[in-house]
Amino acid sequence: MTTMTEINTTQVYQVFIKATPEEIWEAITKPEFTEKYFYGARIEFTPDRRRTFGPDGSSWGEGVVSEFDPPKRLVHEWRSLYDPELAEEEASRVTWEVEPQESGLSKLTVIHDQLEGAPKTAQSVSGAGWMMVLSGLKTLLETGEPLSS
Amino acid sequence: MDDDRVFKALADPTRRLLLDRLFERDGRTLTELESQLEMTRFGVMKHLRVLEDAALVVSRKAGRARLHYLNPVPIRQIHDRWIDKYTEHRVSALAELKTELEAG
Repeated sequence: MTTMTEINTTQVYQVFIKATPEEIWEAITKPEFTEKYFYGARIEFTPDRRRTFGPDGSSWGEGVVSEFDPPKRLVHEWRSLYDPELAEEEASRVTWEVEPQESGLSKLTVIHDQLEGAPKTAQSVSGAGWMMVLSGLKTLLETGEPLSS
Repeated sequence: MDDDRVFKALADPTRRLLLDRLFERDGRTLTELESQLEMTRFGVMKHLRVLEDAALVVSRKAGRARLHYLNPVPIRQIHDRWIDKYTEHRVSALAELKTELEAG
């Protein structure tokens, strides 16, 4: 495959999961679930704040939640405070959309955009970044087990 | 989601080319994608629909335009299904080697 020639300032990821929108919402917003698929991070949501803690309990920062509409839509600020170099960049935006589908499936779409002021973050979250999270989230919900790697 | 759809979608050179184009620059309109291919607009639309059915491409409205994005998650899932098994094996082989070395 050719190398990526420019930074993608809008990234879209999608996965179909055999779970209800309510179950997916829980898995996104409850720290006991997020630590199993989000690089060990415990992520807590309130209707207006998102707080993240690393596996060692240290703060990975917090950001504004601009939309909180369970179990359909969640929009929050993104800052990469887990990495000192990325932490200096401007905030970007993450949108989660959950839509029920036929035969017990739900469609989860993640849009990471407004990355114009955060080129290193854009590079970091693309590639394996969001893919690992969404693939891990799907595996956790469908099998009850986190991914082995 | 049906793996068959992903494999079927990938089993066509034009569709793989469309994915390569989106990898180079994501978020493109049908017109942009069409201009790089020797194919009618209808033909490109048909290929994009197969890619969207397999969730390898996700399209979203941005104002009046519809933009197409490469979604690598289904390919990651194929990776997880097979490659993770090799990784597990390697990890357990290393663990066994360590036990043996420490016992000796």
